[in-house]
Amino acid sequence: MKLEKLNQSEALRYMGYGKSAPDEKIQGMLDECEKNLLAVIKPNYIYKLFDIERGDNEIIICGTTLTLKGGDICAHLDGCEKCVLFAATLSAGADMLIRKLEASDMTKAVMTDFLASAAVEQVCDYVDELVKNELTAYNQTWRFSPGYGDLPIDVQRDFLTVLDAQRRIGLNATENNILTPRKSVTAIIGLSENEISRGRRGCAACNMRDVCQYRKRGEHCGF
Amino acid sequence: MDFKTLLNEKEFIILDGAMGTMLQAKGLKMGETPEALNIEKPNWLYDIHKQYVEAGADIIYANTFGANRHKLVKCGYSVEKTVSEAIKIARRAVEDTDTLVALDIGPIGQLLEPTGTLTFEEAYDVFKELVIAGKDADVIVFETMTDLYELKAAVLAAKENSSLPIICTMTFEENMRTFTGCDISAMCLTLEGLGVDAVGVNCSLGPKELYPVVEKICRWTKLPVVVKPNAGLPDPVTNEYNCSPEEFSEFAEKLIPLGIKVIGGCCGTNPDYIRELKKMLSDKKYVKREVTVPAACCCATNTVVVDQPRIIGERINPTGKKRFKEALIAGDIDYILGQAIEQIHAGADILDVNVGLPSIDEKAMMCRAVKALQGVADVPLQLDSTIPEVMEAALRVYNGKPIVNSVNAEEKSLETILPLVKKYGAAVVGLTLDEEGIPKTADKRFELAKKILDRALSYGIRKEDVYIDCLTLTASAEQENVMETVKAVERVKKELGLKTVLGVSNISFGLPNRELVSHNFLMMCLTKGLDLPIINPNIDAMTGTVRSYKLLTNIDKNSVDYIAHYGNSDGSAPVKKEAKKDFDLPYAIENGLKHEGAELTAKLLENTDPMVIINEMLVPALDKAGDEFEKGKLFLPQLIQTAGVAQACFEVIKQHILASGEKSVSKGKIILATVKGDIHDIGKNIVKVLLENYGYDVIDLGKDVDYQTVVDAAIENDVHLVGLSALMTTTLISMENTIKLLRENNVDCKIMVGGAVVTPEYAEQIGADFYSKDAKQSVDIARQVFGN
Repeated sequence: MKLEKLNQSEALRYMGYGKSAPDEKIQGMLDECEKNLLAVIKPNYIYKLFDIERGDNEIIICGTTLTLKGGDICAHLDGCEKCVLFAATLSAGADMLIRKLEASDMTKAVMTDFLASAAVEQVCDYVDELVKNELTAYNQTWRFSPGYGDLPIDVQRDFLTVLDAQRRIGLNATENNILTPRKSVTAIIGLSENEISRGRRGCAACNMRDVCQYRKRGEHCGF
Repeated sequence: MDFKTLLNEKEFIILDGAMGTMLQAKGLKMGETPEALNIEKPNWLYDIHKQYVEAGADIIYANTFGANRHKLVKCGYSVEKTVSEAIKIARRAVEDTDTLVALDIGPIGQLLEPTGTLTFEEAYDVFKELVIAGKDADVIVFETMTDLYELKAAVLAAKENSSLPIICTMTFEENMRTFTGCDISAMCLTLEGLGVDAVGVNCSLGPKELYPVVEKICRWTKLPVVVKPNAGLPDPVTNEYNCSPEEFSEFAEKLIPLGIKVIGGCCGTNPDYIRELKKMLSDKKYVKREVTVPAACCCATNTVVVDQPRIIGERINPTGKKRFKEALIAGDIDYILGQAIEQIHAGADILDVNVGLPSIDEKAMMCRAVKALQGVADVPLQLDSTIPEVMEAALRVYNGKPIVNSVNAEEKSLETILPLVKKYGAAVVGLTLDEEGIPKTADKRFELAKKILDRALSYGIRKEDVYIDCLTLTASAEQENVMETVKAVERVKKELGLKTVLGVSNISFGLPNRELVSHNFLMMCLTKGLDLPIINPNIDAMTGTVRSYKLLTNIDKNSVDYIAHYGNSDGSAPVKKEAKKDFDLPYAIENGLKHEGAELTAKLLENTDPMVIINEMLVPALDKAGDEFEKGKLFLPQLIQTAGVAQACFEVIKQHILASGEKSVSKGKIILATVKGDIHDIGKNIVKVLLENYGYDVIDLGKDVDYQTVVDAAIENDVHLVGLSALMTTTLISMENTIKLLRENNVDCKIMVGGAVVTPEYAEQIGADFYSKDAKQSVDIARQVFGN
């Protein structure tokens, strides 16, 4: 896939611009950063569909060695009979560009970093849509990632192995389960032929809720 | 039978097909460690191998793809056991046949620095362990590689711990690059240089889609070319591949005229595919390629072909530069990176790297600099040192095919440097001087060039990889010999057919209006065949000379490059803008005017004390910005921007102080580190910029920093404030451990912590002295600690 435009307003929100608009100079820099970032990223994604079974406070992904532990993922997949595991990445070009800017222009480095965060969300939205269009028989939940709530982040590497993500999209994890290339996401989407109850999404399920910068400002990350 | 005999005797060598696909068909679950089956289900593997042997494979890959120490952790078996069992099973399957057994090695599964955290040296150790465990194989295969750097570690580990032949295949996308951006030419140049036996592509795409990739590989190497494609492309939902054995073989047939030698199948293939291949190949002849690989050097993402003048930037060199020396002594890598990026923006195609200073550990610094530079600079490097051990260390950690600067015609130099050039597959600069110094005449220098070439050839170094430097003499001292250099360049180029390189800037040393003399000399040399001028690309007259030469000689067709650089100006050289008089330094800082800020600072320094500028202008302006940031009137990008201007001003002040020999203006030393396991360091870097602008010396230990490194650095540098950053809940424990170790060692320092997941309560709980909510607050803390 190819991204044509990046979500600048999302990036500005990450930078702390609530409702304020950036001044002309910052806007100009942002446009330039967007152009340069678009030129080096190579968005890639992979997803697979699985049947799920429920264990004791865990979700078993059928046909794999993967189990997702914790009350939050169980709640997230409540009522679902299948799930999609997916991974998305902007690839290594974004990392290189940000490193380069960190050595030459910190302002642009920060802007590009935030733009890249917004970009990977756009790739995720795209995959979300794709799943919706491919699997029309199902209703789907929002995206739940390893590390959210009480789903341990150390599931990350098994998650990538099951998706064969290293071979297919060049996505890896470090010993500490940080995804590399950096601007990447792994997530679980629940699928059900029945209506899925809404409203589980939000701060309550988020393990950042105590330290969240948005919450402190009385804002919401949009999740 | 061995690999080399196979190459000579067979028209084509047939490899096996997929292992994972076959194992899954037998019941391997997704996510399971396939290599554990070597011990748990040896019969599955025997059966699969046997099927491939019977289908016609000349080489089968043992089930060792992911048998490295990182991936085996999950199943608990040792590398030694897993690999040796795999080879034994494969050996049994090829009994009484001529089929060879390959030790198959895939990527480690973690990215190397700087994107990941695995070091080059750790990667080498991982591969070394595999190579030793697989000693009973007939050939070593490294496949599905996407990172040239990881592959280089693998090849060195194989070469240094085994004498088996080596096959390397990487995985390319439709954009002709690997996931990490490695280019086909870079793969070929680097691997052929390192002395592998065959090179190619596996996995990636189907045989149809791989055509352009294979075509390019065939143009860039003289080695036998290997192709092991997938069975077409996978369906996104079912993950089934779309190419039948017959189609696979049909597309594979089209690759034969390109000159491929070795072929097999990857994901989605099975013995039927190999049988079809064998059938198709039975009446085909290998097409011998006539390849001339041009003179070129590369980094992983960019190949520079020396088919026209290419600029080598000379600025990464401490000679005669006080500020650079200071940066080296302080271990300030960011300064060097800044120099690199500036030169690339100005037009450098290649960067010379010299970090030689008697008072530092040059070898350690060289490795650090090379690693850091290749993380940000997408141009090849020219490694520059007079010490062979430093050169070898740099060659080892370099990712790509570098240039060695330099060898000369002295016996001792030839004997020590040329073997290194050969082993690491570099290009080399040959200086036309010997035991008796620099010859006066062009003819004698030509003779030395010939001597260097002959010796290089005798070591097996390609002629295209020898670049001769006929040496520039200073016109003010040896005016009568200037033309000898020009003549020598011409003869070496014409008569020996070698590429030429020349450090140009020395020509004008000691003369007024140096630029004028330098760029004219440069043009004289270019017209006589200079390929690689070593210059300061930041001087527009020099870079401009190369650009106009390329325009005038019809290299820059339709003046595209020239117009791209000068199209917006009226034709004259860019006029340096005078600092406007209607605003002052605080205004420049508040408005993010970096260039103007630096110029105003320089002007102020003519009659103002540096400390006055810092305390009465820089700091108040920064305070004001910080204040507005806290109040929500100014946003993060603007805050960093003001800091960026202040940084530029500070740089001018530093240069001034160094030049005048006064004492430096440090308000205190602070260590900053992103803790072990964490690689999110942009927040820490923002803090660093701000602290530096308030006059603090920041020792930046980087990201993923060992606990002990922090302790050692604090003790060694007598540091009394340490800042730690963590952005993951999983790495908070590293923060706690680092603090614990600092306390256990009784390091006399205050500790401040910060990062997205850190809370004031947590900071207190783990024994930090301060919690810093943002970059601005870290400055307040520093002021409190140092009382300034």
